Amino acid sequence: MREKIKNIIENVGLPRVIIFFFLVLLFILAPVVGIRLDTSINDVIIRFGMNGILVLSLVPMVKSGCGLNFGLQLGIIAGLLGAVTSIELEVKGFAGFFTAIGVAIFFAIVLGLLYGALLNKIKGDEMVVATYVGFSSVSFMCIMWLILPFKSPNMIWPYGGTGLRTTISNQGYWFHILTDFLQIKIGKHIAFPTGTIIFFVFLVFLVWIFFRTKTGTAIVAVGSNPEYAKSCGVNVDKMRIISVILSTVIAAIGIIVYEESFGFVQLYMAPLYMAFPAIAALLLGGASVGKASIKNVIIGVFLFQGILTMTPSVINNIIQSDMSESIRIVVSNGMIVYALTRTMRIRS
Amino acid sequence: MKKQNLTKTLNPGVKFLINYAVPIIFTILVAIAIPLSGLSGEYLARELMTRLARNSFIILSLLIPVMAGMGMNFSIVLGAMAGEIGLIFITDWQIVGVPGILLAMLISTPLAILLGYFGGIVLNRAKGREMVTGFMLAFFMNGIYQLVVLYGMGNIIPISNSNILLPREYGIRNAIDLIGIRSALDKLIYLKVGGLLIPVVTLLVIAVLCMFIIWFKKTKLGQEIRSVGQDNDVARISGINVGKTRILSIIISTVLACYGQIVFLQNIGTMNTYNSHEQVGVFAIAALLVGGASVNKATIPNVFVGVILFHTMFIVSPRAGKTLIGQAQLGEYFRVFVSYGVIAFSLALYAWRKRVEKENERRKAMALKRVLLQSTNTAGGDKF
Amino acid sequence: MRKRIIIRITLIVVLIFIGIFLYTIGKEHKVLIDNRDISVGNITYSADTTYKVRVDNQEIGAIEKGERKVARVAGVSHKIVVEEIKDKVLTGEKYEKKFKLKTNESATVNIPAMINNANEWINKTN
Repeated sequence: MREKIKNIIENVGLPRVIIFFFLVLLFILAPVVGIRLDTSINDVIIRFGMNGILVLSLVPMVKSGCGLNFGLQLGIIAGLLGAVTSIELEVKGFAGFFTAIGVAIFFAIVLGLLYGALLNKIKGDEMVVATYVGFSSVSFMCIMWLILPFKSPNMIWPYGGTGLRTTISNQGYWFHILTDFLQIKIGKHIAFPTGTIIFFVFLVFLVWIFFRTKTGTAIVAVGSNPEYAKSCGVNVDKMRIISVILSTVIAAIGIIVYEESFGFVQLYMAPLYMAFPAIAALLLGGASVGKASIKNVIIGVFLFQGILTMTPSVINNIIQSDMSESIRIVVSNGMIVYALTRTMRIRS
Repeated sequence: MKKQNLTKTLNPGVKFLINYAVPIIFTILVAIAIPLSGLSGEYLARELMTRLARNSFIILSLLIPVMAGMGMNFSIVLGAMAGEIGLIFITDWQIVGVPGILLAMLISTPLAILLGYFGGIVLNRAKGREMVTGFMLAFFMNGIYQLVVLYGMGNIIPISNSNILLPREYGIRNAIDLIGIRSALDKLIYLKVGGLLIPVVTLLVIAVLCMFIIWFKKTKLGQEIRSVGQDNDVARISGINVGKTRILSIIISTVLACYGQIVFLQNIGTMNTYNSHEQVGVFAIAALLVGGASVNKATIPNVFVGVILFHTMFIVSPRAGKTLIGQAQLGEYFRVFVSYGVIAFSLALYAWRKRVEKENERRKAMALKRVLLQSTNTAGGDKF
Repeated sequence: MRKRIIIRITLIVVLIFIGIFLYTIGKEHKVLIDNRDISVGNITYSADTTYKVRVDNQEIGAIEKGERKVARVAGVSHKIVVEEIKDKVLTGEKYEKKFKLKTNESATVNIPAMINNANEWINKTN
């Protein structure tokens, strides 16, 4: 019995086990300190829908051997461009939502192509360069947000300023368009975001099917054994670029879904560190630098968002202070450090 | 076609351009931006002198990990945090002047050694990914630092000076006035040259550090570090404990960064408890790269050239941005963009060159093999 | 092996001593300087005029009748120099006193008492 437990811990990884039990503990403590369990679970589900797609976007690149996508910001930028364009064009409702997605996909493909080409030139060192490419593009876009010719009064600085505001509300356009769609309300405390979840499941399904197509399997082959794939006649570089484009496109969609739930489009420096929570969530779900699956996404997002939701409320009620931000930093970054240090271990 | 071009020996001019692409591009950018900003040479010189004295120490701490083959040490942030904790304590105890600075260095050294040791162990387990790991480690430690300083201090860790605590009686304030030690090191001896105030002692300290690094390279440990940096396996065969040497190089770097952050903060005079160390890693590494260093080679001249170029750009950007497009804010963003962009570009360039060199080695080895086999095999040439 | 441990322990002890030394010479003390009437027993020393004060190498400036100023000094041994000012001019009367402060002490100096060489010219508190 002891051997079995030891084996499970070694395979799953001690941090993950600790975090899982920590989350369970929080759920047990919640009603004790006066927090409604149903509201909490509802919150977790809402946040799951908000963040799930961003985490999903990491999967194609891991499968193709490009590592963890520290340059997630590129996809986010594409999504932001889509969002502001759609608001600028004054398109509302579902039309607005899908316009945003459409424009975003366009930019995502362009950015993904460039990004993928860059990554191909630096095989083996993708992660570090990606981080800084991501950072520099966010700062570059800061300049762009200031000078691009957007005119919508909802978005630019008031009193005749130029340039977009830092935070733009999407209320009246496509705020909660998914969350409220087919929403199931149970009593006063639960509002199940059916639309968001359906959308998430839909995208998961698409990704799942994709990896069963010829291209998809080629990508997985490239990731697990590039030499073998090459000898089978697969164009390794092309497959990697496709995976990068796919990741960027999904990320672009992901940030728009995030915004529809959140209510705001956040520009300028906001996306700077957005890659890390997504990566941490994926790793929390059992993925590693070289291996990721949809199962990892689902488990990871649930655990991560669970901790993010439960920690502030429960700990605040116990210790009367808000440690949640610091705990979040420790957990999410610690997870990434842990995953990076496990790379070298040879698995049987 | 492209690959074959690189197999040929590049003419030395082109090689120079590629190796020093970053500082060259940067010099051009800066040369354009200075007149755009409209700032006088005197102002620039004054600002640069201050920044040189302020930042050089901590950038110098990056050199040793590069020697050890660990690339750009993003975890110098851990050293900076140790230094800040030292400063928190001496501010609490109200120790002023140079004794204050020295005491801060003294008490934060054990902490810096501990953090450096921890960092070294983590980085050893992430061989090949040291830079990303160092980077994430810095973020992780920041969370722990917050837990200690924002929640532990005043609570579990006794702090008696209520000036530095938050109104709720525990946790350190966002900004601490370091008026007790402000410019303490600089003020010791000031030399006036033209309109410039030169903080002689600080520069002397930096010079001592440079000499220390030069001397260190020649010591046994220094040589071991260099051979580990050259080739892990060769070093191991010669009997060097590779893991331990790498950890030692990180410890030294972390301790130096700790002192460097103290020197930095004594010049500024105020400590942003939670932000001061965040950008330390990025700016120091960007400056070093701008000075012409690369992931596997960094020298002392790189440090100083880098500080001058990088900080000139820093000073000049907001104004230049205003002149160019009418918004100073643009210049600020441009600054940040350039800092990150320089690192991205340098790292990408380095990674690309590394791949190309590997490719070249492989081709040379294959060509050699072919020649050898052909010369010993009269009838088997067509087998290839 | 033994030798190494001894050297290390000695090093640590030396460092601790250096630390204590730095703490002592660097600790900042508040010295309050009063130019006020003060009663000692049945004698009252009164503050008649303005005085220019210097503590160590810090110029505190002029302290008027009834005024109190603060000097922040670091270390153990200190010297306070007080010069009389009458009608906005230095009269040339100069008074000097030395004092020592222990690590956690702060002090209040009373100028009239100091000028008259009373023992209670300085009051040290923790």
